[in-house]
Amino acid sequence: MSDDLLWAYGVVAAGAPLPDDIEPVADGELVVLTARVPRDEYAVEPLREHLNDLAWLERVARRHEAVLEQALAQATVVPLRLCTIFDDADGVRRMLEREREPLTRALARLDGRQEWGVKLLVDGDRLAATAAPAGDQAQGEGGAAYLARRRNERQAREGARALAMQIVDDVDGSLRAHAVDAVRLPAQNRELSGHTGDMVLNAAYLVDADGAGALHEAAAELQGRHADAGARIELTGPWPPYNFVTGETTTQPA
Amino acid sequence: MSTTIAEQEVALVDLVDRLLGGGVVIAGDITLSVADVDLVHISLRALISSVGKLEEGVLE
Repeated sequence: MSDDLLWAYGVVAAGAPLPDDIEPVADGELVVLTARVPRDEYAVEPLREHLNDLAWLERVARRHEAVLEQALAQATVVPLRLCTIFDDADGVRRMLEREREPLTRALARLDGRQEWGVKLLVDGDRLAATAAPAGDQAQGEGGAAYLARRRNERQAREGARALAMQIVDDVDGSLRAHAVDAVRLPAQNRELSGHTGDMVLNAAYLVDADGAGALHEAAAELQGRHADAGARIELTGPWPPYNFVTGETTTQPA
Repeated sequence: MSTTIAEQEVALVDLVDRLLGGGVVIAGDITLSVADVDLVHISLRALISSVGKLEEGVLE
């Protein structure tokens, strides 16, 4: 048994330029970008333990991303999920044999296209103010006034929620018009992301590379259109198309 | 408004979302299970909240 395992980053077409320090494993028209990693660190048991080590995870995640970005700059790439590891090159080739058809299909579909991430954040207070401009507030201390205030508050909350959904539909719908595919992702946990405002949309769009400029312009225009709600649109990319290859393969791990 | 990956270091949370939530899932000789991925999210949360507590402690 070798002291090393093979970490797989992604799949490119035969003949594509290779990122630095990569061992290509080729079979037919497909090439898996791999690198050797020490078995005593990446075998099942140590790997599980390392997942608890955020510094380790960050290092590994950034390396995975860096290699894929380098590949992406020069070719179409099908990114593999983090921690896809093989015993040896034969294992990689067996996988290629098994997954040739879906991987080939994914490469063709992603060719000339880019994944962009879009987050839409709104300001809860400004949203509420826009949805229900301060009007005649029920004054006084009686029970009727109290109930009226409660009713107004509830209506304001519902109004703000409805307005947020309208803005999300407008932004997502307008951006989808520039995309060949789109996915909505769960909003990020504020503790992890540290974002301010309410993340009402976290999405990814697959666009033709020559349409990326139009996507940027549309995002800027939408941000302006919803400025009253304190809308901010954060655009990131182009990413390796992580969100447009799921469900692509025939086999799923247990 | 726009940031490109090349210009700015990607936030770890963005990266983890994509790397553990996306990408082709193929049966390697070793792959992470759903439970493993959940573990990562739990440890991320634990780390962030403990960092938050530490910072609060310093400010007090």
